[in-house]
Amino acid sequence: MGNRSRRDFLKMAAAGAAGAALAPTAGRAEGKTITLLQETSFIPPFDAYMQKTLIPAYEKLTGVKVVYELTSVGSSPTRISTIIETGSGADLTVIFLLYPFLYADKLADVSDIAEEAGKQQGGWYPAAKEAAVVDGKWKAIPHSNIGQLMNWRTDWFAEVGVKKFPDTWEEFYEVGKKLKAKGHPYGLELGHGFGDNHGWIYPLMWSFGSHEVSADGKTVTIDSDETAKVLDYTRKLFKDCILEDCLGWVDVSNNKAWMAEQISCTNNAESILWFAKAHFPDIAKVTDQAQNPTGPKGRFHLLNCQSHSIFDFSPQKEEAHKFLRWLTAEKQAGGWLAAADSYYQPFLHAFDNAPMWQVDPRNIPYRDAMATAHLPGWPAPPDRRLAEAVAKYVIVDMFAKVCTGTSTKDAIKSAETQLKNIYKAA
Amino acid sequence: MSIRSEPLVRVALPPRRAFSLAAWLDREAVFSWLMMAGPLLFLAALVGYPLVYGVLLSLQDRIVTKPGHFIGLKNFINDFHDPVFWRVAINTFVYTGAATLLKMVGGLALAIAMNQQFRMKNLIRALLLLPFIVPTVLSTVAWMWMLDPAFSVVNRILIGLGVPPPGPSWLGNPTLAMFSLIMINTWRGLPFYGITLLAGLQTVPPELYEAATIDGAGGWHRFRFVTLPLLKPVILIVTLFSIIFTFADFQLPYVLTNGGPENATNLFATYAFNIGMGAGQLGLGASIALMMLPALALLIVAISLYMRRA
Repeated sequence: MGNRSRRDFLKMAAAGAAGAALAPTAGRAEGKTITLLQETSFIPPFDAYMQKTLIPAYEKLTGVKVVYELTSVGSSPTRISTIIETGSGADLTVIFLLYPFLYADKLADVSDIAEEAGKQQGGWYPAAKEAAVVDGKWKAIPHSNIGQLMNWRTDWFAEVGVKKFPDTWEEFYEVGKKLKAKGHPYGLELGHGFGDNHGWIYPLMWSFGSHEVSADGKTVTIDSDETAKVLDYTRKLFKDCILEDCLGWVDVSNNKAWMAEQISCTNNAESILWFAKAHFPDIAKVTDQAQNPTGPKGRFHLLNCQSHSIFDFSPQKEEAHKFLRWLTAEKQAGGWLAAADSYYQPFLHAFDNAPMWQVDPRNIPYRDAMATAHLPGWPAPPDRRLAEAVAKYVIVDMFAKVCTGTSTKDAIKSAETQLKNIYKAA
Repeated sequence: MSIRSEPLVRVALPPRRAFSLAAWLDREAVFSWLMMAGPLLFLAALVGYPLVYGVLLSLQDRIVTKPGHFIGLKNFINDFHDPVFWRVAINTFVYTGAATLLKMVGGLALAIAMNQQFRMKNLIRALLLLPFIVPTVLSTVAWMWMLDPAFSVVNRILIGLGVPPPGPSWLGNPTLAMFSLIMINTWRGLPFYGITLLAGLQTVPPELYEAATIDGAGGWHRFRFVTLPLLKPVILIVTLFSIIFTFADFQLPYVLTNGGPENATNLFATYAFNIGMGAGQLGLGASIALMMLPALALLIVAISLYMRRA
């Protein structure tokens, strides 16, 4: 390489670098564009309604453009963490489970919107406050619950003489035993998914009076007679009623098994019936949905509240706030909810008898289940220690362990050691 | 004799040149550093910075949204008290050891087979790369279907061979789940081994084989005393790469089982991710991810020393 070409090379490199630095950066019109991060819905018309109806309507009304940024199911916590850590990205986000508590410091106070909506729309279900109020302030506006209930095959249940879904966990076991013997096992997730495992495991635990940590957030209470009883129950339920594969399932697995007519009962959101109606009408005809069975301490469900939060550091905070207020108003919220039938169950009483519940009466148990729904780990305070216990699958693995042969005592001991480490380290 | 000093001859020194950027740039020392500056900056930004940041995070009680405080090695001590951490460590070693061994033996066999003369050799060689080319997430989803008892092509075959239905639960049984993970990783990594070793095989001079044959060496002896010694440097390099990739594997276990059932397939990468991102425990998550470093470093040093000696 001659001298000249070396210099030329350097000049070119320098020119390239300068060019890159001076190139116009893509910017958005200040004050005119806001971005909402949302996980892709299992019900496609839901996203379509936002994109084709709500966003154009808002832009027409205010001139503000809304970017609807879709991310895959289950990926929003990673996206939100990144936005918070880098201080840039979307202005509003969907948020669920324990995350409003984990990210509370960086979420704007939206109490005014929540209180206004409560006054105008018949008041909030108590579960909404459990899911979104952090230290007395609403850090998220609950949009809806994606309830996790029992989906069951009416034809196979009828074959063993059952017309109505079992009311208690014991009856649930007796029926399951007969069904598995006939080649129709239950399919209840015991693996490392993010929802369908907790959807039935926590309610089952609570029904037996078992809790991992007390409400004071200090005492690990997992080593109890109630836990031993619920684990013994689960061991026999797994052996006699459940498909072995459930131990390795993630959240897509039960939907797949349902459509393959492999299982007679699972715990899932309404999407399983919705999908069957759209693609497997024969299966949809014999699919019904019911609340979780009850136990010695009552009937429970998992609270899976989908909310929207505004990032406190967003430069478009004011615009985002206005948009969220508009979105929460009955007209907009109602339209958006109705687009997905009742897959998203509203937390405002104004919708208790909305037409969405008439689309398919089989969905009504999802509405009624909200009265007995709690966050994972309840009654422990939903803080970062609980989030760690959930992320480490302490409870799910305790249940899975007894199903693979570990003794009840050892499974409890192992979970207790993990929980004590987590709560002691705090 | 008189001694007379010769008059000093004035050496005409060249006029001192003014500083010239062009000349400065032409100096080897300057130019070579300039050429290296780009890659070095690139490495510092994309490898050095995340690594240093990861080390700093691991020494803090850093939680998402909150500033961290220096807590020394407390996160690591917490890890050592966590029974799952040890399970994850054992899993990672078993997974890496078994998969690397299988890939090495299988890859060598594949390379030797591909080194023979047969029809459509080039097409078949190209097709062999497919598992490596297909995005891991896609191929893992395909494997999920193949290992599902309802749809499993594997179970259909086994049932046909007389195994009682529904056949083994590949992802539900903790031992079989790890076995499945190892097999899928082997399937995915085999072409990398095969093609690289094939390239190595083709550099072995045919005269050596001829000489060995004349000396009476059979097929096995030719492989043992000609092929293997000449291929050793390539095998070691590929193994090094394979260990690094397998040890830090994330996509495959995350999509297939996310560490389940009961942590049977949880590896360092999935466990660290769930704690860092799922629970917002950035410091603790970083400490788990960093635990990969000493183990990998030891392996790399051992292999490098072995190579140098060889």
